Formats: sequence, structure tokens, C-alpha cells
Amino acid sequence: MPEPRPPKQPWNKSSKLASFAGRRGFADAVLVIGSLLLAAVVFSLLLSVLWSVIVTGSSAIKPQFIYQNNRYISTTTSLDYGGVGHAILGTLELVLLATAVALPLGLAIAVYLTQSQSKLRNMVRSITQALAGLPSVVSGLFVLSIISFLGAPKSGIFGALALFPLMLPTVARVAEEALRLVPADLRLAALGLGAPNYRAFFQVILPAAKTGIITALLLGLARVVGETAPLILTIQANDGTNLNPLDGGIATLPTYIYGFISAGYASSITRAWGASLVLLIIVGILFVTARLLTGEKKKKKSKASK
Amino acid sequence: MMTITPVAAELRAEDISVWFGERQVLKDVNLTFRSNRVTALIGPSGCGKSTFLRTLNRMHELIPSAGLAGSILLDGKDIYDPSVNPVDVRMEIGMVFQKPNPFPTMSIQNNVLSGLKLSGLHVDNKEELLETSLKRASMWNEVKDRLDEPATSLSGGQQQRLCIARSLAMNPKVLLMDEPCSALDPGSTRRIEATIEELSESMTIVIVTHNMQQAQRVSHETAFFLADDNVPGGVVEFGSTEQVFGQPIDSRTNDYVNGHFG
Repeated sequence: MPEPRPPKQPWNKSSKLASFAGRRGFADAVLVIGSLLLAAVVFSLLLSVLWSVIVTGSSAIKPQFIYQNNRYISTTTSLDYGGVGHAILGTLELVLLATAVALPLGLAIAVYLTQSQSKLRNMVRSITQALAGLPSVVSGLFVLSIISFLGAPKSGIFGALALFPLMLPTVARVAEEALRLVPADLRLAALGLGAPNYRAFFQVILPAAKTGIITALLLGLARVVGETAPLILTIQANDGTNLNPLDGGIATLPTYIYGFISAGYASSITRAWGASLVLLIIVGILFVTARLLTGEKKKKKSKASK
Repeated sequence: MMTITPVAAELRAEDISVWFGERQVLKDVNLTFRSNRVTALIGPSGCGKSTFLRTLNRMHELIPSAGLAGSILLDGKDIYDPSVNPVDVRMEIGMVFQKPNPFPTMSIQNNVLSGLKLSGLHVDNKEELLETSLKRASMWNEVKDRLDEPATSLSGGQQQRLCIARSLAMNPKVLLMDEPCSALDPGSTRRIEATIEELSESMTIVIVTHNMQQAQRVSHETAFFLADDNVPGGVVEFGSTEQVFGQPIDSRTNDYVNGHFG
């Protein structure tokens, strides 16, 4: 027989305000109101940033703004001409180049931290965490020193190289988390069927952690897509479209924004706001995708447990 | 129907001792699991019976601090011989775990056939193997119309039988079961016990169980394990199930099977 539920306590029925009575109630009220106020401050800051980017930026956004480049555009050219198409392509290219290195390496670190029994794991984890605290400008300076050591001209590949150490710790940490969530049972089951370790990993553990690893990738992308300082130091600006990472200047959204704000003309500032809005939308798409992917996983889980 | 050639094998443990780090948990275990027989390993928690089960298909060595002495002979051949690949051992000696652990990313069908892919084996007729394996685990009729659904859509008892079918698809000579019913309801338990009985016609089965009634229902032979605070675990008594439960020779066995401790 299940025990009968205890009757509701009378204080449960009293109003919220009544529960603020007395000394303890006062402290409670201060905490509740204080945290609500602080939340409101943070939220209004966020809203005002979003609002100003959307309102100011949308005045620059016209269809051609998305796909045209900035060649032959002067400070007096109307906003009906020119755009950030070249910068969108440049940003995507640099970020993809950085990902091409950071994803496999970050995944390898995560695999090492979760699958091996090595005593060096703690050291690797600490170094990865320390890397997460690396200021982006330092990463840019480091690559700049490589450029001057090599005597090479600045180009896109160095920009990607400067983004890579910023992306790596995010990818490694989130992927480690994802792999850690895979039950140890599954690995044992796979090994018990006569699987060598690598097949157990690729066919059972990795698929089970798939959504988490995609999240790691997207968060890593979101981390570096708006980085400005390392790119200012390592690439040359370009008004035209250039997709060759090994030669010549390359435009990116963050450096475009920086350049056009610094220029100081009314039209260039409007264009910079427009570019900010485009960047914001790209980051938004990444975060929403990550959220949808992880959300889907949770839904499946709760369905299975029913 | 594909014919499964019954190739049950005799498994013999000789002087098995096991350590975790410095601590010895098993000492000089000698047991013979005869072919086509079901042997139950019983004993209180912490007596080393699950650990012993894991030495039988070299899953034990996956634990970092694990040490082992002695030999395990599968039809006379030592599975711990340096020339033997543990991967091959685990293909011949299958294992079913305490908690049902189907692969969540795979469909029912792919779970059954996962062993082939995982071990790199090729089979000409996968459909037949799928059907045979599910039939041997007596769940073909329940799932034949939903083979493409995810394994996680099954109930706990069905998931455990799916795990049995997954092991059977590798056509093992020996099947090790580590408390396979402890997470299941009585109905599912009954069905798995019936499956065990049928399977013993074509393979050797070793089952760890905490449930005395289950040991008496499913096994032909029973080994009673016991450990003490400073004494590593070992076999106290080994004989036919009827004898171990009916006329135990050792007084400790008598106390345990009659529920005086453990």
C-alpha cells in the first residue's frame, strides 16, 4: 500500500507576500528582488546591444549588401551599391581552415582524455584549460612573430593559424564532455563482441556522442567567427573578393567592421553596422543549430525512458 | 533457415588468481564448465564471482590495475597464451551484461548484426543470420515487423534479449551471463530463463546470479564462491545444482543457500 500523501501545510497556501514577513522573510525578499534586478540589468544590456545592431544595421542591409564586394566603393557611394559578400566568404574560409585543424586535433585530445589511462592526462587537460584563457590578441601576436620570422607577406592562412588555438580548447572541452557521457557499458558490449578498440570507438562510442561533437564544433566556430584582434595583426584588408589563403589580402567581417568604423564617415559607419548584423546572424544560426541538436537528443532520451 | 552447428566447448579454469593492484580478490579457482551445461556461480556480493566470469573471456584485463595468474582452457587451448588475440577469444566466448546495453544509435536489426561489423567478419546471408539469432533469443515474433526501429524503443526485458541475440549472432561456443535478469521484471526473467534452457543445447553457459531460485531453475551445476575480509575469494563448493542446494557438504554452503547470510 502506498502511504497516503501528507496534507498540504497551511503556509503553502499563504500568498507570496506573506512569506516575506519576518526577518528571514526580509532577507528572502532582498535576495529575490536583488537577483531579479540584476537579471534585468544584464538582460537590458543584452537587449540594447541587439537592438542597436538590428536597428542601425538593418538600414544598410539591402540584397546587394550580402553578395557584392566593396571594390570601387568610396565614402560618397550610396548604400545601394557595395556589400560584404567578400567578407562573408573570407570569414567562412578562414574559420573553415581553422576548423580543419582544430576539429581533428580537439577530438583527438578529447579521445585521449576519455579513453586512455595515461598519467599524462591531467597535464594535457590543464594545458588545454590554460589555452582557453589565452587572450586572442596574444594568439595574433604570436602568429605575427612567425610571419616576421619567416619574412612572409601577411595572408589568409596566417589568420586561420591565429584562430586555431582559440578554437581548439572549446572543441576539446565540449567533445570531452560529450564522450564522457557515453556509458562505459557500450564500450564493454562492443569489446565483448570481439571488437578491437578502434572499431568499438568508431562504430559505437563516436556515433553515440555524435550530437555532442557537432555541438563542440559549432561552439568552436561561434568562438572564433567574430574574433578581430588576431586577424588585424595577421591578414591584410582587401576590398575585392579573394579566396586564395596563401596570397594577398583577404576580407573578413570583423576586420571589415573594424576598418569601416575607424574610417569615421557616416556611410562607412552604417556599412559597419550592417556587417555587424550579418555577423550576429551567422553566430545566431550557429547557436540555434547547436541548441536544436542537443535539444533533439534530450527529447529522444525522455521518449525512451517513457 | 541457416543451420547453426552446435559447437559447445568445454571451458576449464586452472588455478585462477586475480589481483586488483596489491589486493588479491580470487585465489586458486579451479572449475570445469562442461559443454552443453549451464553452470551457475553463486555467492554473496564481493566474493569475486563476477570478476571470475570476466577472466573467462579476457574482459578482466580491460580494468587498468587488474592482474591474473592461472590459465583458462577452451577445449584444451589456453586463451591466455601470448599467441592468442583477446579479440578472437571474445568472439568465441560471448557475454551478456547485468544491465541491458543495446547500442542506442543502431536499429534493432543493426544491433543484432553489430558483432559482424565490429569484428570485421563477413556473412553471406545477413537476413538469415538476423532471423536465426532473434529466433534463438525467442524474440523474432515480437520484433520482426519493427526491425528498423531504434533498439531503445524496446522494453528492458526485450533489450536484454536483444543483447542475447546480438551475442548469438557471433555463434559463440560459450555464453557468459553476468546477472542477466537482475534489472528485469519476473515475466521477462522467466522468458530469459526459458531461452537459457534452449540455448544450452547448442552452447556452454555460465551464469552469475544472486537469485537462488533462478540458479536452481536454470543450472545443471553450481559453484559457490565466498570471500572474507582478509581472505581472497574462492570456490567453497562445486557440484550438481541438486546436490549443492539439497545436500551441501560444506556448512557455509548450507548456511548460504538456506538464506542464513549473504
